[in-house]
Amino acid sequence: MTIHAIQEADTTYGATPYDSVWTSQEVPVQQPDALERTMLAQDKLYVVLAVVLIIWIGLAAFIYRTDRRIDRLERKLDARISDEDVSP
Amino acid sequence: MATPGKTYKRLRNIVLAWLTLVVLGGFLLDIPRINILEHTARNLYFHVPMWFTMMAAFFVSAWHSARYLSSLDRVRDTRALEAARVGAIFGILGLVTGIVWARFTWYVGQGIWWNFDPKQTMAAVQLLIYGAYFTLRASVEEPEKRARIAAVYNLFAAACVPFLLYVLPRQMESLHPGAEGNPAFSDITHPIMRVVFYAAVIGFIGLFWVLYTQRVRLAALNERADDIPES
Repeated sequence: MTIHAIQEADTTYGATPYDSVWTSQEVPVQQPDALERTMLAQDKLYVVLAVVLIIWIGLAAFIYRTDRRIDRLERKLDARISDEDVSP
Repeated sequence: MATPGKTYKRLRNIVLAWLTLVVLGGFLLDIPRINILEHTARNLYFHVPMWFTMMAAFFVSAWHSARYLSSLDRVRDTRALEAARVGAIFGILGLVTGIVWARFTWYVGQGIWWNFDPKQTMAAVQLLIYGAYFTLRASVEEPEKRARIAAVYNLFAAACVPFLLYVLPRQMESLHPGAEGNPAFSDITHPIMRVVFYAAVIGFIGLFWVLYTQRVRLAALNERADDIPES
């Protein structure tokens, strides 16, 4: 990682460390990389999109896990109830 | 209850429709433009309710653990476990969304994914405490003993929540509102944003309730299946 000299923060991409715990430490402000350019487009709306997608993926993963448990229960019931008993 | 399934279905449909409206409102309603924050202020509707939901879930979990200790009813143990599990999911989502939000808002140009913000760190510690709850459960074989030890530990874990998420982070400087030098949430937030935010909190807590109820029903069915003698 190349360390650049501190530049004056510009209004578009520049950032100053808001977290003043670290202000004594000199944090080099780099040029935005490709990932940042993507995320900061549209007034940073894509950051919100990323957050919503993370939540959605997390909840979907949880639904998959619940589904696996339902599968296990179905197999257990199949093993315990013979075919004659469950036929309607 | 005569028709528990009916109440559940009605509430579930309301929760899902409600959350759909929250997402629509979260993206479509106009919000004041603030430098640095810009549109990421909308994350207030998604990141913060994760934590409120996690706390509500852990509270439900602790309540059932306390009830377990006084009643020794196994249903209480199941409810405590499932509430803690869904709560931990919301906590992890809150942590990850917080990392992404900070990375592309305050830490732009610095490439920092994790800056040991006090609230972030304490929340991670809190999740580890709950991780130990699940590990503890997995390590005890006998159901009675497991339920009792887990219930006592769960009460300790829940007692940590207010200290780790409110008392300690507010003593230190942090990106989060209410911390040293930062105004509290209610002083700075636009009225429209507050409406959507509270709606989102209610919606996500409702979603927790739906997922938690599904899990509890499934666990109850599993126990009934265990009671069937093997053919």
